[in-house]
Amino acid sequence: MASRLIVALLLGLTAWGTAAIAAPLRVLSWGGAYELAQREALFAPFTEQTGLEVEIHQYDGGLEELRRAEAAGETPWDVIDMTRSQAMAACREGLLQPLPRDLPAPAPDGTPAERDFLPGAMGECALTHSIFATVVAYRRDAFPGRRPTRIADLFDQQRFPGPRALQRTPAVNLEWALLSYGVPREELYRLLSTPRGLRLALERLDTLEETRWWEAGDEAPRLLAEGEVVMASGYNGRFFDAVVNRGEPIEILWDAQVQEHEAWAIPRGAPRPDAARDFIRFATTAERLAELARRIPYGPARRSAILQVTTHPDSDLDMRLHMPTHPLNDAGAIVKDEDWYASTRARLDDYFEAWLAGRGCHITVNEPCSPP
Amino acid sequence: MNMTPDSTLPGRGPLPVLRFLGLVLLGAAIGGVAALFATGFVRGVLWLNELLLISPRSRMMFDHSGALIAATVAVPALGGLIVGHLHRHIPERRPHTPADAIAAVQTRRGRLPARAGGITALSALISLGAGASVGQYGPLVHLGATLGSLGARLMRLGRSDDNITIACGVAAAIATAFNAPLAGIIFAHEVVLRHYALRAFAPIAAAAIVGHVIATQALDQGALFHVADTAVPQAWEFALFVAIGGFGALLAGAYIHAILGVGRLAGRLPLRPELRPALAGAMLGTLALWVPDILGMGQETLRFATIAGAFGGGELLLVLILKLAATALCLGMGFSGGVLSPALVIGTLFGALCGTLVASIGGAPQETFIFYAVCGMVAVTAPVIGAPLTTLLIVFELTGNYALTTAALASVTLASPIAAQLFGRSLFDIQLHGRGLDLSSGRGRALLMDTPVIDYLTQSCVTLSPGISLDDAITTLARERHSEAYLVDEQGRYHGCVTLAELEAARQEAGARRRIRACVDTKRPTLCPGSTLWEAMALLEEVTGEALAVVDEGVFRGVVYEGHIAHAYLNQSDALRREEHGHG
Repeated sequence: MASRLIVALLLGLTAWGTAAIAAPLRVLSWGGAYELAQREALFAPFTEQTGLEVEIHQYDGGLEELRRAEAAGETPWDVIDMTRSQAMAACREGLLQPLPRDLPAPAPDGTPAERDFLPGAMGECALTHSIFATVVAYRRDAFPGRRPTRIADLFDQQRFPGPRALQRTPAVNLEWALLSYGVPREELYRLLSTPRGLRLALERLDTLEETRWWEAGDEAPRLLAEGEVVMASGYNGRFFDAVVNRGEPIEILWDAQVQEHEAWAIPRGAPRPDAARDFIRFATTAERLAELARRIPYGPARRSAILQVTTHPDSDLDMRLHMPTHPLNDAGAIVKDEDWYASTRARLDDYFEAWLAGRGCHITVNEPCSPP
Repeated sequence: MNMTPDSTLPGRGPLPVLRFLGLVLLGAAIGGVAALFATGFVRGVLWLNELLLISPRSRMMFDHSGALIAATVAVPALGGLIVGHLHRHIPERRPHTPADAIAAVQTRRGRLPARAGGITALSALISLGAGASVGQYGPLVHLGATLGSLGARLMRLGRSDDNITIACGVAAAIATAFNAPLAGIIFAHEVVLRHYALRAFAPIAAAAIVGHVIATQALDQGALFHVADTAVPQAWEFALFVAIGGFGALLAGAYIHAILGVGRLAGRLPLRPELRPALAGAMLGTLALWVPDILGMGQETLRFATIAGAFGGGELLLVLILKLAATALCLGMGFSGGVLSPALVIGTLFGALCGTLVASIGGAPQETFIFYAVCGMVAVTAPVIGAPLTTLLIVFELTGNYALTTAALASVTLASPIAAQLFGRSLFDIQLHGRGLDLSSGRGRALLMDTPVIDYLTQSCVTLSPGISLDDAITTLARERHSEAYLVDEQGRYHGCVTLAELEAARQEAGARRRIRACVDTKRPTLCPGSTLWEAMALLEEVTGEALAVVDEGVFRGVVYEGHIAHAYLNQSDALRREEHGHG
C-alpha cells in the first residue's frame, strides 16, 4: 500500500517535473570523489525521478564568487553545497535565501525532521546533510617501525621526517598547531582568541620545513599518493577514496579531526528556487543520505539515515567504521566553532596570508593585520 | 540479623545511627544544592564575560576596535558601581568571604546570614562578569557555606551539626568548581573545620561526591593544567622546586599584604565607599588596554603560563606584577571576589619565570617546564589560602600525575611554614585577626575569646556601702554566707572589694567601730562588660578570691564567680571534644 503510494507520488512528481522544466538545475559542489558519490546517490536519481537534468559546477569553497555573482545580479547556481560556517557567514550577509522549516521530509517512521536531524543541522539558510572531517593522513610506508598517533606528531619532523601538505587556510591549521602544545580541546578557541595564542600557533606552523599548501580538495590525496609529501591534511572522504578505490598506502590519523557540517543552501538570486527546494528535500531524505554515505564516508546528518548506512557498493567495506562520527574515530574530535569563524574569518585570513608571505603581522586581535 | 546494640560501646543505639545517617543524607542534599548553585554561578560568569566583551573569544569576535576600547574601560567601571551599591545592603558594608565562614565555624556561632550571603554571591557574579581581577572560588565557598548553614537552620540542627553542614557546602563547592572531590573534602577540613572528626567526614564526603557527579555532568571545562606524561624531572631539579617554594612564600606574603594595604589606603580615599570599586574598575580597564591578561580570572593567562615559550621572561615578570597589582586594587577597593584564582595565575607566572630563568642559565629541559609552573602555583596558593594539602590534591586530581604531585609537595614543604612564620596561617586568618578574632592558638582559645563574661554575670552577691562599719560588714557577710563583699556607693559606683578574712583582721587590730574603707582591696582587677572569658581566665591566674567584679565605666554591674568561669571553660572544652572526637 505504502509502496504504491510512493510510486504514485513519484510518477506525479515526474510528470510535474518534466512539464515545468527546460533548463537544468545547476548545483555548485566540490568536485572529485565527493562529486562522483553525489552523482550516483543524488543527482542521477533526482533526474530519474523528476526528469530535471542536474548541471554540476565545481568550486573550492569561499564566498567571493557568490558575492560577486549576487552583486552583479546574475547568480549562475540554484543550489550550493557549502560548509555550515560559510553558509552562516553568507546568510548574515544576505547572500542566501531562508529555508522553510518544513523543507526536509520526515523520517521513514514518521519522526518529524526537527527531531531526526542532529542538533544544529537545521540552520536559517542552510540544511546540513553530512558531517565530514578534516583529518591528517600519512603514508603507511613513510615511517618504518612507528606511526603517528597524536596531532602533535604532525609537527614532529624529527620522529616523523618528511614534507607535509596543508590546506592554505587558517582554519584547522591554527587549531592543530595550538593543540600540539598540549592545550585541552575545550579551551582551543578561547586561547586562539588571544594574540598570544595566535602567535604560538603561527610559530608552530613556522617550525615545519617544506610545506606544500593545497587549495583544491583532491590535491592532498594526490600529493600523498605521489609521495610528494608524507603527511597531509585533507577531507576524510577524499583519503578514503584514495585508499579504497585506488589502493593507495594511506592511513588516517583520527586524533584532532575537525568535524564540520556540510549543508545545502540556495543563493538569494537563484534562477529556480522552487526546483532547488525540491532537490534539497529529495537529497536529504534518509534513504538518499544513507546512499551517499555508502559511497563517501561522511556521517549523515539525520539519525534515521545513520541506521541505514551499509556497505560500500563496490568493495563491501562496512562504511560505518569510516565515518568521522563513529565512536572509535571521534574520541579526539574537535567541534569547529563556526560562530567564531563566521565573525573572525576575514581577519584570520589576513594574519595567515601575511604570515605565509613571510611578512608577519602585528597581531592585535581586533584590528586587521598591520605590518610589524 | 542481630540488631541489639552493643552495650560496651557508648551511643550506638539505633536512634543515633539513624540520626547520623540522616546527617549524611542532609550533607549529600546540601552538596547537590551547592553544586547546582556553583555550576550556575560558573556558567553565569562565563555568560556575562561573553556578553560584556571580557572573554578573549568575545573580544576576538567583536569587530569594532573603538567600541571595544570603550567597553574595556566602561564595563569594569560600571560593574564596580553596581557592586559598590549592592554592598550598601550588607550590614558590614563589605562582601562576605570564606573568612566569615571560617569565623562562624571556629567560634561555633554557625548561622551564616542568608541575605548577606545572597548579596555577596550576586555582587561576586557581577564583579567576575564585569572582568574584575578577582577569583571565583572564594564566592563559591562562601555560597556553599551559606547554603549549608541555611540547610541546618531549616532542619533545626544544633551548632555542631551546623558546622558540619557548612563544611558540606564548602566541600561541594570546591569539588564542583575544580572537579576534584578529594580536594573539596580536604579543603573543608583544612580551612574551615580545622579538625578531623569521623562524624563530620561522612557527610562532607557525601557532599563532595554529589558535587563531583554534578560537575562532570554539567560543566564542560578542561583541566586547570595539562601534562604530557612522559617527562620526569631530574633529581637536582627537586632542590629547585623546594627553593621555588621558599620564594613563592615571599610572593604570597607580598600578595596578601598588597590586598590588605590597598584596603587600608582605600579607607583614606576621599571617596564614598560605594564608588571605590568603580574607580578600581576604570583603572583596571585602562590598564587592560595594554595588558589584557589582567582582566577577569585569567584562565587563558594561566594556561599559557604552563606552556614553555608562550611568554618571554620580561613579559612574565610584567604580567605577574600587573596581575598582582590589579588583584590588590580590585579586592582592596571593594570588588567582591576570591583570592584563589588570581593567586593561581600569579603563582603559575612566577613558576614559569623560574623555569625560564633555569632554562636560560643551566639549560633545564623544556619538558619539565610545567613542573616549575605548577611548583610556583602551589607555592603561592597554599600560603594564601592556608591549605597546603588541598593545593596538592588539586594538582593530583586534575593531572593524575604522581611525579608532578611530588614536585608540588617539595615546593609546598618550604612555602607553607615560611609563610606561616612570616605572615600568618592564611589571608583569611590575617583578616579575622584584624577583626579581633585570633585563631593562631587554635579554636579553644578563639572560642573563649569570643564568649563575653557578661553571659555569666550575676547580681547575687553582697554589696556594702563604703561608709558601713566593720562590725556591720562582718555580720552581713556572715548572714549571707559569703566571704567577699563589694563596696558600692549610692550612685552605684564601685569602690573595691573586701574579704571576710581581712575584715576580721582589721577588727582585731583597730576595733569594731572602724569604717571598712581602711581595709578595702582596690588592687583586685575588675572586668568590663566587653571582657571575654579568655581575659577572665587570664585574670584568675593572679587573683584568688570568690568572684570578679564587672564594672562599666565605674558603675558596678555585678560579679562573675570563678566557679562559673571554670564551669564555662569545661563546658566549652567538652563541647569541642564531643564535636572533634565523637564518631556518631
